[in-house]
Amino acid sequence: MALAAIKPIVRRHAEIGIVLIAVLLVVVFALSSEGRWANAYNIGTILQVTATLGLMTLGVALVIASGEIDISVGSTFGIGALVYLWLALRVDPALAALAALTAGGLIGAVNGWLVTRTGTPSLIVTLGTLMIFRGIAIALTSGFAFSIPYKDRTGISYRLLGGGEILGLNTSVIWLVLMLVVLGAMLRLMPWGNRLLAVGGSSDSALSRGVRVDRVKFSAFVFCGTLAALGGVLEAGKLGSADGSMGRLMELQAIAACVLGGCLLAGGRISLIGALTGAFVLSSIQSYLVVMSVRPQWFMVLLGLIVVAAALGDRSLRQWALRR
Amino acid sequence: MTQKPPLISVRNLNLYFGAFHALRDVSVDFHAGEMVGLVGDNGAGKTTLIRVLCGIHAPSSGEVYFDGRKVDTFHPKNAIDQGIETIQQSVGLCDNLSIARNFYLGREPVRRILGIPLLDFARMREMSTRVIRQFGLRDNVSADDDVERLSGGERQSIKIGRAVEFKNRVVIMDEPTNHLSVREREHVNELARQLRDQGLLVIYITHDIFQVHRLADRIVIMENGQKIEDTTTDRMSAEDLEAVIRHGGRVVEKAEA
Repeated sequence: MALAAIKPIVRRHAEIGIVLIAVLLVVVFALSSEGRWANAYNIGTILQVTATLGLMTLGVALVIASGEIDISVGSTFGIGALVYLWLALRVDPALAALAALTAGGLIGAVNGWLVTRTGTPSLIVTLGTLMIFRGIAIALTSGFAFSIPYKDRTGISYRLLGGGEILGLNTSVIWLVLMLVVLGAMLRLMPWGNRLLAVGGSSDSALSRGVRVDRVKFSAFVFCGTLAALGGVLEAGKLGSADGSMGRLMELQAIAACVLGGCLLAGGRISLIGALTGAFVLSSIQSYLVVMSVRPQWFMVLLGLIVVAAALGDRSLRQWALRR
Repeated sequence: MTQKPPLISVRNLNLYFGAFHALRDVSVDFHAGEMVGLVGDNGAGKTTLIRVLCGIHAPSSGEVYFDGRKVDTFHPKNAIDQGIETIQQSVGLCDNLSIARNFYLGREPVRRILGIPLLDFARMREMSTRVIRQFGLRDNVSADDDVERLSGGERQSIKIGRAVEFKNRVVIMDEPTNHLSVREREHVNELARQLRDQGLLVIYITHDIFQVHRLADRIVIMENGQKIEDTTTDRMSAEDLEAVIRHGGRVVEKAEA
């Protein structure tokens, strides 16, 4: 009976599945790792990884909300990191970050323009830009890494952009929380959010109500590119260096995080909190496999298996909630 | 009434979808304060014509004048801003949004805090709740419920309620009584009459010539993308008009063969 009472809550909140999975994994990982996983340093690392992946995930969630998909974010992340590092040596890191975000926004604009103007499926368009900008990143670095010398990794703006800590937490976590609050408010409280979800739910209906569907989708792509570049900037600030492979395969993690977090790939229904929990789950699993010294050959296999298991668990929970 | 300049004037309208000639040289006038029945078989071009009027399709050639001014850009946003409200059959509501959010989709009321536009939920709920009650939706339906939960008739009621509540000049109804019970149907037809009496132009699209003949002042019949009849209801009986629909189809087929 008590179980039946929570059914409507599970139905209304698609993110409950992933939150339960996250809690379960935290308990299992903490109990089975003899303190190697659950310590302040490791949790801090997990949160930093969650933050940069999470910013990308938030952007992808917005595009998914509009009924499209953006798989180019891994390359945008890399370009953002490289632009930031190259410029941070020459100008103030804040300006460098601004330039990197602009570059990300422009990549998003290219995606959005191609998708809305030509009507080409976003999967194909962003698959193309994924390869194009990965290629550019590799060409720019020509096999080397862009890095900032240790002595220059100082200054308030450098530290605020992922290169420092506040209260033991990497500053990227603050950016993540900030963006979560801002985007959450835009989605729930502003006309833009209402229209974004309407476009994803039924673009024909939204159009018939006078919503400028193309503009809304375009804006989602621009936000997505900008957020991916912000993730790249913060990761670059944390590491102090980056090569042409920065952010590779992260696009898949971001999409997996969205789906695990209850975002409907068909569009119209997303949960930002759920998507971020998904990003946290993925980073936690990765960290667990690292601290348990799982042989790197098996790393991807195990990660994939856990993702599939989590997805199945979440799916059966949702189906249970839909049953009478 | 016909002395006044028409509110909407369509001149030599042609529309192609690829090679398909969907509207063929259509010219028709619509006046404020009249109810026009737009009748024809499936595929006759009724819905396509009103989709031009509500801005979804741009014509391939020909002109549309609204209130004497030539329409240059076709987008539903422009049509709605001009006061042309369309109740369409298959679109108009997003299942994933609440009734209140659907009600104001595209023209959300906002309160500005530090210049940031925030949705005015109180206003959105108030008006949509009023419509829900007025149209006799189930008592347990609230403005915050997703449209997904509603039946076909309830959806239709929301669309019609929305069209009635906003101050409009034109209301276009595409098969408004589909999915409706007999009582709901009468309510919708009564509303259509009231809107006309308030001086609005009402364009009422249907298959059912007998039903619309009782309601409308004028009947326009379409067939194969062309206008084949345009007459007032006091000049021709429903039976005669039905014969035109049957007959018209055959004549056009022969002419094309």
